[in-house]
Amino acid sequence: LRDRQNALKLLPMTEPNPSHAAPPARKWLHLVAIGRNPKMTCLRIATLVVACFVVFNFVLLPIRVTGISMLPTYKNHSINFINRLAYLWHEPQRGDVVGIRYAGIHVMLLKRIVGLPGETVAFVHGHIFIDGRRLKEPYEKLPCDWNLPPENLSTNEFFVVGDNRSMPPEDHTFGRVERNRIVGKVLL
Amino acid sequence: MKKVVKLVLLAVLVAVGVWLWFFLFPSPEEIIRHRLEKLARTVSFSSNDGNLARLAGVAGVADFFSTNVEVNIEVPGRMQHSFMGRDEITQATMYVRSKVTGLIVKFPDIDVTVAPGKQTATADVTLDATVSGQPNAVVQEMKFTFQKIDGQWLIVHIETVRTLS
Repeated sequence: LRDRQNALKLLPMTEPNPSHAAPPARKWLHLVAIGRNPKMTCLRIATLVVACFVVFNFVLLPIRVTGISMLPTYKNHSINFINRLAYLWHEPQRGDVVGIRYAGIHVMLLKRIVGLPGETVAFVHGHIFIDGRRLKEPYEKLPCDWNLPPENLSTNEFFVVGDNRSMPPEDHTFGRVERNRIVGKVLL
Repeated sequence: MKKVVKLVLLAVLVAVGVWLWFFLFPSPEEIIRHRLEKLARTVSFSSNDGNLARLAGVAGVADFFSTNVEVNIEVPGRMQHSFMGRDEITQATMYVRSKVTGLIVKFPDIDVTVAPGKQTATADVTLDATVSGQPNAVVQEMKFTFQKIDGQWLIVHIETVRTLS
């Protein structure tokens, strides 16, 4: 009898009445979807939305690469980000792949910086010469035979070009760009 | 709690008021932005458009320009064209529509600067044009100059801008 009484007392604690509690699967779903504290979950969601809005509109701009001018480094239709804070503390460096704006930032050019302000850039048989010295370019895999006369960059200009120079220079967008057109550095 | 609800309602009311003000009395920048967006829609056409729609589109393009408009288009290695006046613009539009089966024009970026007298304005624009059957869109930066003529902002000059020199 004592055992039966204990069993009767313990029953409500170990196995609650099924008519008052949700099935385990629904309870689990509720826990995952809303969490233990719905107010805190709402707050977390709102914070996440605001953080995503700020980050992806002002700091890391999502881009989709269109075209073949940056092959083989960046393939057509690949996804990437432009880090707008990359040049907050220092100026763009040689070898950086940067986003260059047109009238705004919704459409950009993706190019690699090869010439820095004040330098002289020339192409001789497909090789870049900076101030008369040949630039080593490990990222350039496709052969080219471009020949372009030396160009002097002003104190506010960079020289940018794509990695894919297997096409004629007329079909490739490259050249001098002012500093204020450089939006940021490619993240990945 | 009631205070919070009142504050939220007040904020919504202020937001609606501000929106209504800008909707009823748009700034010159906003008017020019809308005109450029409308121009992009008017210039665009598809192969499904009927002859009447095409004719209406051609006639509608001229309304955006002043009578003595000047257009200088220079895309290095691709083309170089100059047009003077509305008639040449209309002819060029008709020529493009006869040669191309479809064209989608967009201006994803529009940066408008209105001169102090509020009679002229310039708009730096990114042109994104997709021709039917061609895989890549043509992207080009352009500069539009507007002038307020008879109460309407009309395009008086268009030129291409070299993003990389």
